Order: sequence, then C-alpha cells, then structure tokens
Amino acid sequence: MKLSKVVGIALILALPGVACIEALDNSIKPLKRATLTDDWRDEVVYQLLVDRFANGDVNNDYQVVSGALARYQGGDWRGIINHFDYLTALGVTTIWISPVVRNVETDADVDAYHGYWSQDLTQTNPHFGDLATLRLLVKRAHESGIKVLLDVVANHMGQVFFYDMNMNGKPDEYIAGTGTISPVTRTTEWDPDFDPRGIQAQTSLGVAGRAPIIFINDPLINRIPPRPAIFASAAAYHAFGRVLSYDDPKQVLLADFPGGLKDLATELPQVRTALIDAYVQWVKLVDFDGFRLDTVKHVEHDFWRVFSKGVRDRLAAEGKTNFMLVGEAFDGDDALLGSYTRPGELDSVFYFSQHFQVFRDVFEYANDPTKRRGTDQIASLWSTKKGNYGTAPQPGGIGLPPYKALMNIIENHDRPRFLFESNGNLAALRNALTLLMTEEGIPCIYYGSEQEFSGGNDPANREVLWKTAFSTEGGTFRHIARLAKIRQQYIALRRGDTTVRWSSAHVGTESDAGIFAFERGGGDVGNQKVLVVMNVSESQQSATERPGLGLTTAFAPGTILVDVLSETPRQVTVDRGGELHMQLPPQSAAILVPQNQVM
Amino acid sequence: MRISLALAGWLVCGTAAAETGSTGRFEFGSYGRVTTTSDGRGRTGRDSNIVAHGSRIDAPSYAELEFRREDQYSGGATSRVVATLALFPPFFHFSGKPQQQFGVRNLYATGSYGFFNIWAGSRMYRGDDIYLLSWWPLDNQNTVGGGFGFSIPSSIGNTHIAAQAGMLRLDSPNTYQSIPSVSPIGFGAISAISLDRPHTIESLKVTHTLTRSHIASLPERGGLKFIAYGELHQLAAGVKRDASLNYESSLPEDAGWMAGAEVGYWTGERDSHVSLFVRHARGLAAYDPLGVPTTFGNRHTTAGAHETLVALGANYEIGMFGVLFGGYARMFRDASPSFTSSEKFNEGNVVVRPQLYIAENWGLAIEGSYQARQTAYAAQNGRPGVAALVRGAIFPYFSPSGRGSFKRPQIGVIYAVSARNAAARELYAQDDVFAHRTFEHFVGVTAEWWFNSSTYP
Repeated sequence: MKLSKVVGIALILALPGVACIEALDNSIKPLKRATLTDDWRDEVVYQLLVDRFANGDVNNDYQVVSGALARYQGGDWRGIINHFDYLTALGVTTIWISPVVRNVETDADVDAYHGYWSQDLTQTNPHFGDLATLRLLVKRAHESGIKVLLDVVANHMGQVFFYDMNMNGKPDEYIAGTGTISPVTRTTEWDPDFDPRGIQAQTSLGVAGRAPIIFINDPLINRIPPRPAIFASAAAYHAFGRVLSYDDPKQVLLADFPGGLKDLATELPQVRTALIDAYVQWVKLVDFDGFRLDTVKHVEHDFWRVFSKGVRDRLAAEGKTNFMLVGEAFDGDDALLGSYTRPGELDSVFYFSQHFQVFRDVFEYANDPTKRRGTDQIASLWSTKKGNYGTAPQPGGIGLPPYKALMNIIENHDRPRFLFESNGNLAALRNALTLLMTEEGIPCIYYGSEQEFSGGNDPANREVLWKTAFSTEGGTFRHIARLAKIRQQYIALRRGDTTVRWSSAHVGTESDAGIFAFERGGGDVGNQKVLVVMNVSESQQSATERPGLGLTTAFAPGTILVDVLSETPRQVTVDRGGELHMQLPPQSAAILVPQNQVM
Repeated sequence: MRISLALAGWLVCGTAAAETGSTGRFEFGSYGRVTTTSDGRGRTGRDSNIVAHGSRIDAPSYAELEFRREDQYSGGATSRVVATLALFPPFFHFSGKPQQQFGVRNLYATGSYGFFNIWAGSRMYRGDDIYLLSWWPLDNQNTVGGGFGFSIPSSIGNTHIAAQAGMLRLDSPNTYQSIPSVSPIGFGAISAISLDRPHTIESLKVTHTLTRSHIASLPERGGLKFIAYGELHQLAAGVKRDASLNYESSLPEDAGWMAGAEVGYWTGERDSHVSLFVRHARGLAAYDPLGVPTTFGNRHTTAGAHETLVALGANYEIGMFGVLFGGYARMFRDASPSFTSSEKFNEGNVVVRPQLYIAENWGLAIEGSYQARQTAYAAQNGRPGVAALVRGAIFPYFSPSGRGSFKRPQIGVIYAVSARNAAARELYAQDDVFAHRTFEHFVGVTAEWWFNSSTYP
C-alpha cells in the first residue's frame, strides 16, 4: 500500500467531523431602538407574570417547586418567545412583563418569582433568561407587532439588609415582654414595625439611637449587597421599618414595604440618578417601549417629575419617543390616582378607582344584592376624569392627555380573580370584558382571564398558564379575541371621546335596571360613532327606557344600527324621535355601529 | 478460520492447563505525578486552564498503584488480574489529615488464548492519549462491564477487533436516589432505592495496523494504524422524588452515539509519533460519562446535544532535541433551547514543548500554549465572550532513565506564567482571586513516573 493512499484515507476519516462544525448563533447583537407606537390607545395590553406564562427552557428551573404557587414555577422569556401566536390570536398588541432584574431568591420559603425583590438592577434574573434571550424576546415581539412594557420598581429594593437593633451583629427574631406586666411583642430585625424616629437600637437600658444597617452576604439565596453600589450604603434608605398604616402619609412614603422590602431614599439626588441610569440602561440594551412603574404612591411626587423627565429626555436622545410611563398606585381614591398625572409626571396610571367602583361593585357583585351598585356609579366616576387627571399631554410623553389614556384593568396580580370574587359568574366577566375593551383608555388584560382562571388572593391568583395547553378554543378567549378585533376595526372605540347615554341607579326589577350605554366618537376620530349598550343585571332582561324616557343617541332618526358583537345578526333602528329602544338579556351587551359603517 | 481455531484451542487448553498447572507472578506498576507549587504571591499554585483539556503542566497531583497477577498456562492460555488504586490529593504531608481519597480504577480479570482475549470487571478502557493534554481523545471508558477482542493477521495488515459493554450509575440525584420509607416490620424507617438509572455503554473498535512488512517505505520499526471506533449510550428512565413533600419529577430515558477515527504513525525510534483523532458524538455520548449533564432539552434529555472534535498529538526527537505537540479544536452544543447557553461553545488548545536534552540524564523543556473558549453566552455588555489564556513555561529536569520526552521518572522544577483576558477572568466568582488577576504564576517542584503499568504500557 502506498503512503499517499494512506493519507487519503486519513482525510476521508477526518471529513465527517469537519462537516459537523456550525457557527455559534450571532443574534445577540444590540437592538436598534425605535418608536413603534403612534397612539397608545390603539394598544391592547396583556399583563403576564413571566414565571407563570410559559416554560421555554427547563435549564433555568432552579429550585422550582411545581404546583407550589409561592415558589418559582419555571416560566421564562424563552417561553414567551414560543407563544407569540397565542398572544396575537387573543388580539394582544402590548405585553407587560415582570421585572427583569436579579432578585433576592427567596425569603421565608416564598420565592421572588414575581420579580419585585430587586437585588441587582444591572443584571437579569437568571430564572427568566439572560440578556440575549431578553433581547430576542423584545425583537421577536416587535416583529410580531407587539410592544413590551417593562415593570420597574423605584420605591424599594428587596430584603437586602437587616436592622441590627440589639447590636449583636447578626439578624435576630425575638420575643419580649412577660404578658403580665408588659405586653408580649415579637420583633424581627429583618422587618421591624414602623418607628417614626427611624428604627432604633435597643438595649436593656432603653433606646440607643438609629439601629445600624447591616448588608448581609448570603450567596445561596442571592441576599448579597445590592447593586449599583450606591444601594449598598445605608444612606440610600429611609430605614423607618415596615408600614403599619396606609392612612399615615409619612408611613406611605418612608416605611418599608411589606415583606421587609427596603424603602429607598428617593429624595436624594444620587439615588434618583442611579435609578434613572439603571432603568434607562435596560431600554438602551433591550428596546422596551414603556415602563410600568410599581408602587408610585409610596414615592414622593417630586421624584416622579425628575424620573419622568430624566427617562424621557435620555430616551429621546436615543431615538425612542412615545415611551409610556404608567404608574401603579394601588388605591381606590380617584383624586390620588390622578395626582400622579400632574404636569411633568406620568403619562398614565392604572385606573384602580374604576377597578373597585365599576368592575368590582357593578360587575363582580352583580349577583350579590347587598353589594351591587347601579351603573350610575360608572357615569359618576367617569365624569370626574377631567377634574382628577391631567388634561394635557406630558412634555416629551406619549402625546395624549392622561385622562384619555388611563390603563383600565379588571384583574391584576394583587387582586383576587374576578371569578373568585363573583363566585364564578362567567357572564359577568365577559360583560366586564366588553366594557374594558370598548371604553375610553387602554385595556389591560391580566393573563389567565382568557382561560377563566379563578384564583383568590396572592399567590392563588398567579396560576400557571401552560397547564391550559394554550388553548384558544375557550369561550372567554374567543370573546376577548372578538372584542379586540372589533376594537381594531373601529377607530372610535380606540380613540373616540365618550358620551354616556344611559346609566341607572336601578339594580332590582326596574325596567332599566343594569342598563348602561355610552357612545364613542368625535374628538380625534371625526364622524365615526359607536354606541355600546350593556345590561349588567344578573336576573332580568332590561331595556333602554324608563317610563316616559328613551335612550337618546347622536344618530339620526331612522339610522339602522348593527350589533357587531353579536354572533347572530341583530339590528335596531333609531326611532323618529331620535331615541333607541332596545332590550338586552341579563349580563349582555351590544356594540352598535351604523349599518353603512359596518366593516 | 484462524479465529475459530484459536478459540477451539483455548477451549481445549482449559482442560490441559488443569492437568499440567501454570506459571505466574505478581507485578507492581505505577503512574504518578506529585507537584508542589506556589503562585508567587503567598498561595499555592493552581490549575488555571479554562478549557476542557488544558495543558498538563499545571495539572494537580495524582497517582495510581497497580497490583497485578499474571499467569501463563501450559496449554497456551494466559490470564491477568489487575487492581489499580488511584490516589487523589491532598496527601497527608500536605493536609495533615490521615484520611486519603482514593478510587479503585481497575479491578478486572482478563484471559487470552492466541489471538483472542476476554475480560470482565471495572476497568479503565482506553486507547491512545495526547500526553501534553493528559487526554484520551477517542476512546476512554470507565465502566464496570466486560468485553472481548480478537486479532486477524493478514498480508494487508493486522486487524484487531474489540467490543465492550459496560455500565455506570453515578451517585447523582438525577441517577440515584435512596429515600426513607416506613419499615414493613416494626417501627421506624428504612432506606428504599427509589431512583436507579444506570448508564450503559457499548463500544466497538477496529484497529488496522501496518508495518514494514505491509508497506515497504515504512521505517524498520515504525508503523501506521487506522482506528474506527463507535459507542452507543443509553440511560434508563426514572422518577426523582422530593421525599418529604412527595413532589415527583419524571426523568425520561436518554441515549446517544459516538463515531470516531484515529490515524497514527510512529517511527519506532525514540517515541517519535503523530496521531490524528476525529470524533463526533450526539446526545448522551457528547458528555463525559463521569460527568453529569447540567443542561437539557425541554424534555429533560440530551437529545440534540452534539460534539465534534479534531485533535492531534505528536512527538519528535532527534539528537539533543525533541518537541512534543498537543492540540485540539472542539465544538460542543448542548441540548438546551437557548442559543446563549454557557454550554454551547467552541474551544481549543495548542501546546508545544520543545526540549533540549543535556547529556544523557538532563533536560530543559520550554512550553508555550494558547487555549480559548468562545461561548454563546452574552455578557452584560451584550457581546459573546471569548475567554483566552496564553501560557509560557520552563521545565528543567533530571531523567535518571535516560534522554527522551517519554523517559520516566522525571524530577524537575517548573515555572509557568499564564495570562488570561477579561472574558477568562469572568469565568471565576468575584470572591476568587482568579477573577481579578491577569497573570498567574506557578512555580515549584514536580516528579512524574510510570513503570510496569498495564494502563500506561
């Protein structure tokens, strides 16, 4: 045998290996930042808890305890990437995702699956993925026509330090008092009760001044000094202990959030700058389209003015405008909510007053005669919008006056599910969804509403969505999808002004009990008008009339209106007097469009 | 025909041996390296390799003690019983602890007759290595099992065929679990094995060797060999349970295969040789069986993982000079759905060690190496990291058994300096000094030996 033949055989043996070489994926390049929204009222927002939506990568399922809802369940950004088809089938155009930053892992056997226990504002939460996957998520979302809101927290960090109240250098829990000559009290140095003097050190001789703050190093649960570095200094925190009363303004602003979440001294310029820097950096890295701002009522107004301007100016310089800043003030006080939309502050807030006064009192309680309220409560609340909320667009903001861009919610992660509170009243939920998707503002659907989830208080209301196999066949899923399509078809439902045409205090057997009607149109949309009529009565077919009075519309007499919501053809005609007489079954609605405008 | 004759002869000789007795002897062999070094900054020297197969020069101490019984029977059959204890650092004189970590690496018996051999037991079952990388790139199995082989001499070369099947079950939570269970008799709890997932491997190796009798242009004592090698891997399904809360996780069955080849050439003079290795593995076979995969596809299997590598090892000696070479390029992709897994990477290492032999028993080796790993993992700056390390070393030594790169023992002094880039530093935890130092020194004394070892013939 010749040596050349031998070499040839060697090369043939080597070739299969060479042929198997593949390049490493290179799709982790920085994204181009762009403004994708023209008018935020066109959006249908979908709030999803990343840990609960979809599990796309089992390799980040660190310490998952399947089925224990207070622990990580395994959802991640890769899972969202895999299910954009589900979101688009539902009609979603914007997703609001959980905070992305690294958290303290766990505390008292409850995990930071929700993302609100920040430890490092510069790193991703490895349970959800890495920076490249987050970028891919936003990139794929944008390619699917979906915008992404990032949840950010400025009020507090996680439980990153303890108050060394007894000055022994370690975190303690202790019980004091005899129960006879003194009360028995329990104190945990991780989360002591609010003290108006600031948390005090205590010795057997009495108080000894402000308790030292000690940042602990427990890498196993990532309870380590926070980052950026300024947040690893005691000066960055108020250190007043845990809030006891939300009626005390000082506690609301200065106290730690429940769970020992340490309240940041947001009045300090260096803290403000660090927060702006950290969160703007995420937009620069990932190209988010807006922020959902957590716990805004626990931070002073001046912070929000500085933060909002700082974020808008910095992002505008990066080519990102129309950047949504929507705040969460978990409070039913409409005037308080509106206060965060004062000039220079936020573009929008979650419309919690409506959540309580409308979706809870009118819809959830519809089958409870002792609690239910008439639809006049809707009209009454809406009538205060211009008074309580900003009426001019924020400088450098989304270009809409806040009162026209409120984020409407039926459910969220902090409230029991609608079906839990309403004892499974599915018809009421669907009717409430009709209002959500047709009223003025921006609809925000909490994940799982479409799958008729019915969990109670946190964490039972944070179910695992993938157990539904992402079915798109359910009645409520199809109802939302249909509403989203109608909202997309009729610009009046997205951008039109609102005129309430009928409301009623009646909740019993009166002819118009439960009737509510409003028109959308005019304003920014020209001549198109849509009339929404709904009956929230639980038991009777009601009508748009009461003795001597019918529903007056803006439509000309003789106009034929088509119900585009109904799956079976339904029409009504405006009578010669310009009134509309219409009967609706219990818990139902009609979206009426002039026949010549039906799409 | 020759095989069947050999087998028949072996069967017959069993009777003959019983009648006529045997001759045998006990043997002792060993491999070992013991190094003590400093980092020049007050700490001990430490391995700073960043790839799977780094250079050997800063490898930690390790030793094997082999005890062997060899018998030859009058009918022509032979047998060998091998027991090898492996010793892992730290040793007593370093740690002050009398407890010593050791492992039983070999514990097997083999018998042969003519061209046929058979074995069973716990065995390091290996082919050719690349010395500078301390690595067996093609076949390197560590299982408990058995195998057989036979040779077919012919005019176009000598062919040896070997087959093996073995099993291992690592003491890992994903393969073995013992949980407390209520005792069926009386009170209390007893242990019950709830998870038992053995990993089985079968291999087939065909070696074809050519010598001067087959190719006239080959050196007198030189030769060529071609090896084709393949493995099949299986891992059984099981269920892992949280024993206190009764949460259960299903662990599906897994599998993989590997195919590879080697071409080797040797001169027969002074250990000069060159060996080229190629291998491709998929699924479970892409992982070291003694390691545990840490990333998976979403079905919790390694399906989709794959590895491709090319490696080259060589030695050349002439007169006062010698040069050793070792290098490889390896592409590894895990099965995870994320394209940015830290277990998706390309890596490689090139090591060159020229040597000057001084007189008959002294040597001066100089080593240079470059190793790098490109990982599909985004650092926070958004760029994939390419961790790289450059090393230079000098190694003067005394070689009592004579000149040559493979003469042992060698007793010498090592100084190595390594420089790592920022991405390499990021591989270490912030509390590790390696995360903050660019240069690493490794200075100390070392001894390495091997003799009469069946694993390192």
